[in-house]
Amino acid sequence: MARDGTPAPAPHAGGEPGAGAATGDGPEILVEGISKVFGRRDVLRDVSFTVERGGFLALFGPNGAGKTTTLRIVATLLSPSSGAVRVAGHDLKDDPMPVRRAIGFISHNPLLYRDLTAEENLRFYADMYGVTDDGRRIRDLLERVELSHRRFDVVRTFSKGMLQRLAIARALLHRPRVLLLDEPHSGLDPHAVDILDGLLDEIRSEHTFIMVTHSLRKGLELADQVMILDGGRIVFRQTGQVAEDAFAAVYREHVHEGALV
Amino acid sequence: MSLGMRQYRAMVRKDIIAELRTKEMVVSMFLFVVLAMIVFHYAFTVRGSVRLSLLTGGMLWVVFVFGALLGLNRSFVHEKDEGCLDGLLLCPVDRVTIFLAKTTANLVFLAIIQLLAVPVFLLFFSTSDVVSNLPGLLAVVVVADIGITTLGTLLATISMNTRSRDLLLPIIFLPLIIPLLIAAASGTAKVFNGDAGLSSLLGVLTFLVVYDAVFLVLAYGTYDFAIGE
Repeated sequence: MARDGTPAPAPHAGGEPGAGAATGDGPEILVEGISKVFGRRDVLRDVSFTVERGGFLALFGPNGAGKTTTLRIVATLLSPSSGAVRVAGHDLKDDPMPVRRAIGFISHNPLLYRDLTAEENLRFYADMYGVTDDGRRIRDLLERVELSHRRFDVVRTFSKGMLQRLAIARALLHRPRVLLLDEPHSGLDPHAVDILDGLLDEIRSEHTFIMVTHSLRKGLELADQVMILDGGRIVFRQTGQVAEDAFAAVYREHVHEGALV
Repeated sequence: MSLGMRQYRAMVRKDIIAELRTKEMVVSMFLFVVLAMIVFHYAFTVRGSVRLSLLTGGMLWVVFVFGALLGLNRSFVHEKDEGCLDGLLLCPVDRVTIFLAKTTANLVFLAIIQLLAVPVFLLFFSTSDVVSNLPGLLAVVVVADIGITTLGTLLATISMNTRSRDLLLPIIFLPLIIPLLIAAASGTAKVFNGDAGLSSLLGVLTFLVVYDAVFLVLAYGTYDFAIGE
């Protein structure tokens, strides 16, 4: 069982209209007792949490803790061995299509086709999500991520930072309500990190977030809820702003001493 | 246009644009097909007395099946690069639409190879008047191609997440393609022997259509599982 901290702050007002209409007034993301078994290995054990609309959950933990598996389950890329997940009011198992429409996913892999241009990639995803104003939306997003001048260049020629910016445009293309970020800063140079952080600040109030990260500072800056996973279990969670020094001590205590709270 | 049709067209267009830019799949398939024909040409014309029309149907389809296998092995390479398969699976798209789009793209690539390879084949193995029997040949080729790409796309999907996918695909694909190979070779041999109106190919074509239908239904029922975890 996890230790709960202070109460969560009031959720942010929703900004940009999100894809995937919500049903009901529940939390934007509801994860109830999910477990995941790969072969004989328990990767997740009875993980439960909620994220309110406009909330930002930062998920920490050592390698192999189950963070990415949790994120991939919420993203519908993996199905849980047991438990239930609801996103934007839709059950992931019974009704996955609205869940997919509601989610934007950014990982350290850009999920872009290397032999297509930036515009062709975005046009492809616009078609896949049924974006109606695709031409204008693609232009706007390319401007927002400062890649308009490279729109007709094949993605194979892009730097890691440019790829990640284009990946952000891809993830925002269909106006998702929920953004799932899997170590988005991984492999970026400081300049690219600054651009990514600027973009995250800009869209912070428009979406609900779950971010998996190893960077305590990055996670704590943005999050209003933090969670530590270790060995497939939640070993700590707290809502509200958390001081970096205090959290670093908590992290060391729980992860390195393996304590379950 | 419905969302499903828009998604289908986007996936086919994406595969064709990527292939036009790299030409990896089509060039390797075409080179293999032509080289195999050259090998067959010298292997079977040493004594100059063999009635090649008895063998040409089989030769042609052996070359096409192995050529198609080369392409099928590469058909998910673009999806695996940079995690694009995850990007595709995150989209609100019916998995059967992904299958149909992939099969269509593979069918287009195989048809391009055949358009280029058949004239080369006729050059090496000049048989009877194929032009007058063209409708029969086209019918056999189209129905057999649908079977090859339907089965091949399904099995390429199953094998893509395994470590030994280059080895696994031929091992599971070749035994299952043998019935189609026999029927297509038999139909094509009839065409090359000059005794094939569409009516005399009816049995072969019916078998091939049933074969295609079986694997289309199988893919429809299992593709969600095949492309998932």
